[in-house]
Amino acid sequence: MLILDQLKKDDPHLRLLATVTAIGLAILLGGLWWVQLVSSEYYQQKLDIQAQRTVRIPALRGAIVDREGRLLAENRPNYNVDLYLEDLSPKFDAAFLAALRQTRTELARRAAEAAKQLGRKLTPAERKEFQVSDAMVNDLHRVTRYQVSSQIVANLGVRLQETIPFTEKVFERRYSEARALPLPVVRQLSATNVARFEEQSMHTPGLELDVQSLRYYPHGSLAAHLLGYVTRNEIATDGELAEYSYRLDDYAGKAGLELQFDKELRGVAGAKSVLVNNQGYRQSETVWAPSEPGASLALTIDLDIQRATELALQPKGRGAAVVLDTQNGDVLAMASAPAYNLNMFVQGLDTAAAAKEWERFGDTNSRPQLNRATYENYPPGSIFKIVVALAGLEAGTLNPRDTFQSPGFAMVGHRRIKDTAPPGPYDLDRALALSSNSYFIEQGLKKGVLPRIVELGRRLHLGEKSGLLPGQETKGIFPTAADITSGWSDSTTANLSIGQGPIDVTPLQMAVMTAAVANGGRVFAPRLVTRIQAYGAEQPSQVFPEGVVRDNLGVSKRSLDWVREAMVHDVEDERGTGHACRIPGFRIGGKTGTAQVEKNGHIAKGAQLTWFVSFAPYENPRYAVVVTVESGASGGLTCAPVARQIYQALREREAQKERKAGPKMGVLAQLP
Amino acid sequence: MMLSPTPKEKQSRFDLLQLAAVLALIVISVAFVYSATAGSELGTHLAWHRQTYFRQIIWFALGLVAAAGACVIEYHVLSRWSVVIYWGSILTLVAVLIPGLGSSHHGAGRWIEFGGIQLQPSEFAKLAFILAMAHYLSRPMDELRQPKIFWTALGLMVLPFVLIMKEPDLGSGLVLLPTGLAMLYAAGAPAAYLRRLFTVGGLATVLILGDLLFAPQRWQVVHIHDYQKSRLLVYFGLDYATYAGREVSPAERQRLREKQFNASLNVRQSLIAVGSGGLLGKGWRQGRQNGLGFLPQASKHNDFIFSVIAEEKGFIGSVTVLALYAVILFTGIRIAGQARDRLGKLLAVGVVTLLFSHVFINIGMNIRIMPVTGVPLPLLSYGGSSVLGSLIAIGLLQNIHIYRKAY
Repeated sequence: MLILDQLKKDDPHLRLLATVTAIGLAILLGGLWWVQLVSSEYYQQKLDIQAQRTVRIPALRGAIVDREGRLLAENRPNYNVDLYLEDLSPKFDAAFLAALRQTRTELARRAAEAAKQLGRKLTPAERKEFQVSDAMVNDLHRVTRYQVSSQIVANLGVRLQETIPFTEKVFERRYSEARALPLPVVRQLSATNVARFEEQSMHTPGLELDVQSLRYYPHGSLAAHLLGYVTRNEIATDGELAEYSYRLDDYAGKAGLELQFDKELRGVAGAKSVLVNNQGYRQSETVWAPSEPGASLALTIDLDIQRATELALQPKGRGAAVVLDTQNGDVLAMASAPAYNLNMFVQGLDTAAAAKEWERFGDTNSRPQLNRATYENYPPGSIFKIVVALAGLEAGTLNPRDTFQSPGFAMVGHRRIKDTAPPGPYDLDRALALSSNSYFIEQGLKKGVLPRIVELGRRLHLGEKSGLLPGQETKGIFPTAADITSGWSDSTTANLSIGQGPIDVTPLQMAVMTAAVANGGRVFAPRLVTRIQAYGAEQPSQVFPEGVVRDNLGVSKRSLDWVREAMVHDVEDERGTGHACRIPGFRIGGKTGTAQVEKNGHIAKGAQLTWFVSFAPYENPRYAVVVTVESGASGGLTCAPVARQIYQALREREAQKERKAGPKMGVLAQLP
Repeated sequence: MMLSPTPKEKQSRFDLLQLAAVLALIVISVAFVYSATAGSELGTHLAWHRQTYFRQIIWFALGLVAAAGACVIEYHVLSRWSVVIYWGSILTLVAVLIPGLGSSHHGAGRWIEFGGIQLQPSEFAKLAFILAMAHYLSRPMDELRQPKIFWTALGLMVLPFVLIMKEPDLGSGLVLLPTGLAMLYAAGAPAAYLRRLFTVGGLATVLILGDLLFAPQRWQVVHIHDYQKSRLLVYFGLDYATYAGREVSPAERQRLREKQFNASLNVRQSLIAVGSGGLLGKGWRQGRQNGLGFLPQASKHNDFIFSVIAEEKGFIGSVTVLALYAVILFTGIRIAGQARDRLGKLLAVGVVTLLFSHVFINIGMNIRIMPVTGVPLPLLSYGGSSVLGSLIAIGLLQNIHIYRKAY
């Protein structure tokens, strides 16, 4: 063999030369073995660190639709004009070189001048002062690249006919921290400007139109409290790569359904790696994990009813309204006033209008972020008389036809409770219609009624959460069977009988109660979400069952009929407190309430809570409508007209459906 | 081929194995010079005949002609002219140093222009030195015992060494030392002289290095350029800041650290390139270090061509290159053994040592065994002078082979 032959040479000189050569080559071989085979991974990692940037790709957030698939929350393409720095780098270089040449010339001129002044040649030390220093080079680089970029942006501004803010600070930051990422220079382009850009600036090097998805609520504040809102999310979620070189953010649900179903809606973020060159400019991209769009939510809400409900409620100031399907507990509409614009959380604080909106959102008096339909403790007042009546009827102590002579007030022990209803004879019908306090205090105090009231409250799940909107629901207050056995006085019973005292409810709880009275005693677990459907899937990934019965009132049909009839009279009688809700040809059963609100132990003046609970149509109830307004005049004056507007919208919607579905009788709630 | 004598035996006149290895390296060179430069040149719409790889092909063509020349003129004839060639090359080395004649790049004046073509006289001076040294040392062995002869031989080596160092071209200068020493040794110079030379030389090297690296500025006897000093500091892994002394401000220290980071950039990047190549490499023109510009742009097709090959063809590729060099070197030693006379043997030893030094320093630099010095990789690096010089060297070896002993 060639090498061995040379190593075994007779000539000692050549033998040594061959040996040294062989050793030298062996050292190189060993070095290569060490670097390329043993340490290969280490160097590969180093290469990745310097040449690869991982970028998170946010997933498209799932949509939220109403019961008919109409969008309540969606994603809207948002057009930005981006500056791609790598495309500009040749221009940066050219501008820098030109500036450098100019600086050199200028310095040379100054040096010559200085020499002339001194009348002698400059010493090397003096000449050094007229040389381009490293700091000057850095400055020139910085200044020229900003000049080049801002010139391009300024030209773009002229073409788009608007001034584009483009500060050196923002530019420098992107340049030094994330050179491989495009820099958005114009955000949220209007349609006109998109067209202008496409027409005139398409081929400007370094500028590109970039589409980004933006959470968008097409109806602004509609169903704001149900949908909740999102904010930009910067925290890695479970099962996601935590460390990215650059993170493109998505949204995180902060309230309502956006929060409750955040995991489903969010989808799974993808990732791409950007290959950068030695100067940090982008060379190419590889998406190694595409993002998976989030699932969509279908709600029980009907967009039209929701809108009508909000429109009816809003003029009343602070309050809530709930529309339930009495046959299955589906929430057709749920409104809380005042509401807020959901889009402001996404679009940021750029405009003065948005700032105003934020100010309104944070108002501590009207508290728009509060979902009053589920998250506020309200004393029910007279509407609770429905339960007292049922308890009396079931106990057999209340004969609906028996008349009771009201003195115009009630005496419990030494306490005198005033009555808004005039003195005179009252049967159940009249007592409910005129909302006589003394009649129901009398009934409530009768033997065996109080335990039944408590039992009915338990079956209605008063003092419990419904689980509809976790995190924005209150339990309310309601006495338990144990509460009434000790430390309980007749005075408390009297208070409870007229919906005051140790009782607080939410409008949603009252809607469930009204629906139970209307449908024959079934207490439904209210439903808001019907199904979750993965992106692009044919079948829903999760279906929430319809009409889950939580409990049954266990009240005879006869008792219910009495109460329902009395409630119809409350609306249909001219003297009835709920008369303002009457719609000819559509029989509505209702009950008004005006509850006093205690603040700091005193009954607050003008702070009373007004109620109207109702169901319709009387013959075959399909809807329960509950309206609450804070500081209203009275249930009849303030809330009943709101309910009337809602019923009109419901009827209009039914008519619309019928027209669409043909001659067949259609029930809105039962349509798919 | 009228000048060539008729062959005396059936054996091939050429060392075909060596020629095959040379041809293989030429092909590899063109392929990887293309890979190293195409990325930046394709974008510039440079005409194909002005692109680097094509120029390299031209240089190889010229080099093969030159090699043919070096191999047809019998080496004895060449040797007779060696004194003229030697002094001619010394003249060019001096010319480089004269402002206006030589042209400088990156602070080093190594080039001289001939009608638009730049050549590095040092590349040819190395061969001229070998020729002159072989000629001088091929005298009867007894004469080498005379100190005067020995010192003159040393002087032959030191003169171009000093001139090349003056350019400054540390690497090219340094390769002269092993070459000259190997030739002295092979010529049979007395071992005592060589030992003394080694001792003194080694001591001087240690002293100079120690002075350069560790002594405070004002204690430094030898002055070398800043970039050379920084290369040495990088190689020995020394902190610039420590070297600067205690009195420097933190800001200055920071600046020095940054400077060091930049100075060691080439070494780090070539290491990353070689290391990330792994066993099989990333494929021709797929190298990231190469394609993304992390390898030193100005020198990846010449001094750092090995990094490009190692990154794109992996361990397999770099071992192949190493094997091809082994073939050339050992056939060279074989040629030295078969040489007709001492002149031939010494010439072959000189050429082999020169090539070996280049290969060792250059590849060693790519894997941080050796400091970064501008030594080209023979036959692979881009560059007219290097290509011409390497091919002439091969021509000389073949020349010695052609006129070898007839057994």
